[in-house]
Amino acid sequence: MTLAWRNVWRNKLRSGIMIAAMIFGLLGALLMVGFVQAMTENMVDNAIRYQTAHLQIHNHKFLLNEELSAWIPEAENLAASIRQQSGVEAVTARQVVDGMLASAASSRGVRINGIRPQDEIRVTDLQQSLVAGKMLTETGRNPILVSRRNADKLNLRLGSKVVLTFTNIDGDVTGAAFRIVGLFKTPASAFDDSNIFVRRSDLARFSGLDQAHEIAIRIADDQQLTELQEKITTLVEEQGVVQNWGEVQPVLAAMTGSMDIANAIVAGVFIAALGFGIINIMMMSVFERTREFGVLMAIGMTHARVLLLIIMESVLLGAVGGLLGLAAGRLMLAITDQFGLPFGAVAEGLGAYGVDAVLYPSVKGSFYLLMFGMVLFTSLVAALYPARQILKKRPSEALAERH
Amino acid sequence: MSIQLKHLTRIYNRETTFPVVAVDDVDLNIEQGEFVAVMGPSGSGKTTLLNMVGGIDRPDNGQVVIDRTDMTALTDKELIAFRRDNIGFIFQDFSLLPVLTAKENVEFVMQLQGRSQSDCETRARELLQEVGLGDQLNIVPGKLSGGQQQRIAVARALAPKPKFILADEPTANLDAQTTRDLLDIMQRLNEKEGVTFIFSTHDPRVIERARRVIVFEDGQVREDRTT
Repeated sequence: MTLAWRNVWRNKLRSGIMIAAMIFGLLGALLMVGFVQAMTENMVDNAIRYQTAHLQIHNHKFLLNEELSAWIPEAENLAASIRQQSGVEAVTARQVVDGMLASAASSRGVRINGIRPQDEIRVTDLQQSLVAGKMLTETGRNPILVSRRNADKLNLRLGSKVVLTFTNIDGDVTGAAFRIVGLFKTPASAFDDSNIFVRRSDLARFSGLDQAHEIAIRIADDQQLTELQEKITTLVEEQGVVQNWGEVQPVLAAMTGSMDIANAIVAGVFIAALGFGIINIMMMSVFERTREFGVLMAIGMTHARVLLLIIMESVLLGAVGGLLGLAAGRLMLAITDQFGLPFGAVAEGLGAYGVDAVLYPSVKGSFYLLMFGMVLFTSLVAALYPARQILKKRPSEALAERH
Repeated sequence: MSIQLKHLTRIYNRETTFPVVAVDDVDLNIEQGEFVAVMGPSGSGKTTLLNMVGGIDRPDNGQVVIDRTDMTALTDKELIAFRRDNIGFIFQDFSLLPVLTAKENVEFVMQLQGRSQSDCETRARELLQEVGLGDQLNIVPGKLSGGQQQRIAVARALAPKPKFILADEPTANLDAQTTRDLLDIMQRLNEKEGVTFIFSTHDPRVIERARRVIVFEDGQVREDRTT
């Protein structure tokens, strides 16, 4: 061990360069993985907090065609039963209608969400997303929440009147005037563009239907998602279909899955580059000492010990570089965790995917261990080729080398 | 202890059009306590002969028998153990481990034998004292002169209490005074401890000290004289 450790530092410049390469490589890999992980978690978190909640229930017909007539039978009773389940934090039942939002300036197609404000604020962060005005209450005449983006596009402000038009339960086009009491802004610009919120009682009055199309459920512990989905599915029976956030937003779920692959690719590329670097260093280090290994074999060092010596040199080099690289990465991630990583000009683009403008990259503790293990394993493998080349020689052949 | 070489032959590039017969059917006997110089011009086969005697190369034909052990019949693993316990090596370029101190270099070979650390340390100190480096125990070879490094190499060769020591041109890189000092040490150890020394050399200063000179040429013994 002593001999291997001292051999690592025989050529300080060469070992130093290799260690520096490992530090920067690991730093880059950790930041990249941390960024991807933070982005994924942020997208999912935002989707759950502002849009889907953890679970949703719809009439199966509604999933095929979002018609007003495809309501959930006895939705209120069902919501009440679900609230009683342990692990369920809050439940809200919404009426949902596609319609047009019109101002004096222009109009847009939107999804009109009829909500019970007191239930909604327990399930989603709609209230927290308000950037002006106030949350819907049970008082006042036809209040509405529109997004800041829609307000800008339709030239609206707090107190402005808008007209909602949609098809009622009888198949007639109906409309009503609403007054803006609040402007919201969520991290997802696409969601903001296509959603508005009114009181469910107001929507029911104009649609002619006092029923709900969507039950959204917030749970206390993400780890219980599958278990609760199964439990609630049993409870719902034929009344509707229970979907988790990933099923409601399959594109987001697919992106989450592909980001795991992206992380694996980043880690794999780094490890491959590291492996070739260490092989190169070890080949130089071992082959220039061929005669020395000849001496070691001559004075009685067994092949196993020579192999162990070369492997230990390589693994020690990898361990030093790996530990320093991971420490540097941890430090950098601690800094970004404290101050965040702002995206400035690209924040708007990321907003389309529901990502915050500032991210806080983080890497799971197990990933550090995994990377360290992979660095050590790669170092070990990298030592095998030069070691084999040395051990193929007779001591006399190795002694004859004059490197 | 006796070393017997029987019809020892080594041919390089055997499979090619131009095979080189480095050692050609050599028969020799070396007895316990001899101080032998094998001399001859470069390329005469001296080093190859010593390599086979030392078990770091295998002959294409013939035998090396040390006491009753036929080295050519040993497996690689057995040969390594045999070398470790019975043969000391001294090289022209000293071949010390540069990252270890003088004491650690000497201890290292004994550690390979599995001896205890205190045992290794005591013997390393004694041997380095013996070769006049008692005050340089913790110095790395790079900070010592060529003569001092070769003395460490002598101590290292003696450390495992070998049956004999093979020295391949040990004085080639040393000046006259250092060579004399080193030869004095080796001669003293030979006389006092009865350690057999076999040198490969063409250094006349070594030859004049040797009690037996074997002249080697074209892979064969041309002359074998006792002085």
